[in-house]
Amino acid sequence: MSPARDRATVPAQAGIGLRHPHLPAFLAEPQPAAWLEIHSENYLAPGGPRRAALERLRGDYPLSCHGVGLSLGSAEGLDETHLARLRALYDRLEPELISEHLAWSTTPDGTFLADLLPLPYTGEALDIVTANVGRAQEALGRRLLVENPSTYLRFQEADWDEADFLSELARRTGCGLLLDVNNLYVSAANGGDDPLAALERLPLAAVGELHVAGHARVATPVGELLIDDHGSTVAEPVWTLLRAVLARTGPRPVLVEWDTNIPELPVLLAEATRAEFHLREARDAAG
Amino acid sequence: MRLAELQARMRQTLLDGGSPDPELLALIADPPLQRERRLAVYRNNVRHALLSALDTAFPVVRELIGTDCFTTAALVFIAQRPPRAPALFAYGGELPDFLADFAPLAELPWLADVARLEWARNDALFAADREPLSPNQLATVPVAELPGLRLELHPSAWLHKSPWPIHAIWDAHQPGGGALEAVDLARAEAVLVWRQGGAVRQRSPGPGESALLAAFALECPLAEAAETAAARDPNFDLSAVLARLLADGVLPRPT
Repeated sequence: MSPARDRATVPAQAGIGLRHPHLPAFLAEPQPAAWLEIHSENYLAPGGPRRAALERLRGDYPLSCHGVGLSLGSAEGLDETHLARLRALYDRLEPELISEHLAWSTTPDGTFLADLLPLPYTGEALDIVTANVGRAQEALGRRLLVENPSTYLRFQEADWDEADFLSELARRTGCGLLLDVNNLYVSAANGGDDPLAALERLPLAAVGELHVAGHARVATPVGELLIDDHGSTVAEPVWTLLRAVLARTGPRPVLVEWDTNIPELPVLLAEATRAEFHLREARDAAG
Repeated sequence: MRLAELQARMRQTLLDGGSPDPELLALIADPPLQRERRLAVYRNNVRHALLSALDTAFPVVRELIGTDCFTTAALVFIAQRPPRAPALFAYGGELPDFLADFAPLAELPWLADVARLEWARNDALFAADREPLSPNQLATVPVAELPGLRLELHPSAWLHKSPWPIHAIWDAHQPGGGALEAVDLARAEAVLVWRQGGAVRQRSPGPGESALLAAFALECPLAEAAETAAARDPNFDLSAVLARLLADGVLPRPT
């Protein structure tokens, strides 16, 4: 068992995304991860060994629950059944943080497309997302962190850019920001922008958590696209961008995500050690 | 374009195999030559996520018909019956019925029942938890009350009497399992799937045990269930079968 800890917060240290192949290692002995994050939708089943494993581990690690299916950008509002299931899970686990994405996955006819799809950053979309975030925070009884997505296209119709859209969303709803540094890098590269310029306009005071992950570079007949596949080590320019973020925000909880081609646990923990190194730099700089 | 319409059009383009909706492409700000390729990233993501969910739930069906054929059938299924809820562990329950009606696979009439077995295994992994009934607990029931005792099946349990040898077909695709060539496809087989100690298990119960379990599932009292079983199998040994069911954790403690 780890020493007694403050249950109210996730520490400004490096955590890792808990994935099924690593459950046995965590159940066998304590692992050097300061905190864990799960995908909420993987634990909505009524029972079974995975849920039991999570409930055992929950006592030993601070926990963040990261939703990948609430679809905050759905034009027709949120799925109330899904909200109720999430509420029941969160009431049972009492996570220190919960988060969702600035994206949509559920269509007006109720089809779930299993991807984080892009929104046009229009006034209409901002009103919709504002209402949905408000409803989610009310139904879940908790403050939500909203994550900037990785995007592969942009819509012509746009009253805001993404950074300003997120600032306005945070101002209207009181939600926090889960700043995914890899997504910031990927979206800027795919859109031909400078990620540092976007960073300057994001609501950095609202940042409650940071993500880093690996991406893939894919050559296409119309040029290179970066794909946010969470399938490799974090790219060097993303570590550089993380240092720039931490220099502005100060130390925040940093999560290493790895979802495809999942490696042995030590490889993932080594990435967390690298994140911890940059967090120490930020702590030292902050004095 | 209103957001609701954009989302409905995206649904069509992402699930449909055809060329993308020109009106949707016209909404994209990136250079015209890049639009289709950029939209294709999302189409690939959606397909990959849904195919992976079906791959995970139906590994034996995939091996039986080959990955290419499985992917072809799965993509038709995905387009016709995409998920209705944001929980992919629960996506795929309609695939067995879809396969039963999928004309290109009509010459494999047992395939849908193998798919039902695999889905039952998926369900069993995520079913609600219940403490198993122990032999000692059963022993505390007064003898006079035993005939009227109603035993239940664990929430993970699934009993299926198939006209095909689906347990043997499934077993032939496991490490150390039997040979597929040795399976007599004309033989009917009952299968019991359940979860014990976190692991999904399955076996083929005999006719007496199948009848007993089916009677338990219908909430028949023990004496009546045992009579049904004995009628199906003259050699049915109630105490031996009950002992095995208790040891296997198929019968939960009453709530």
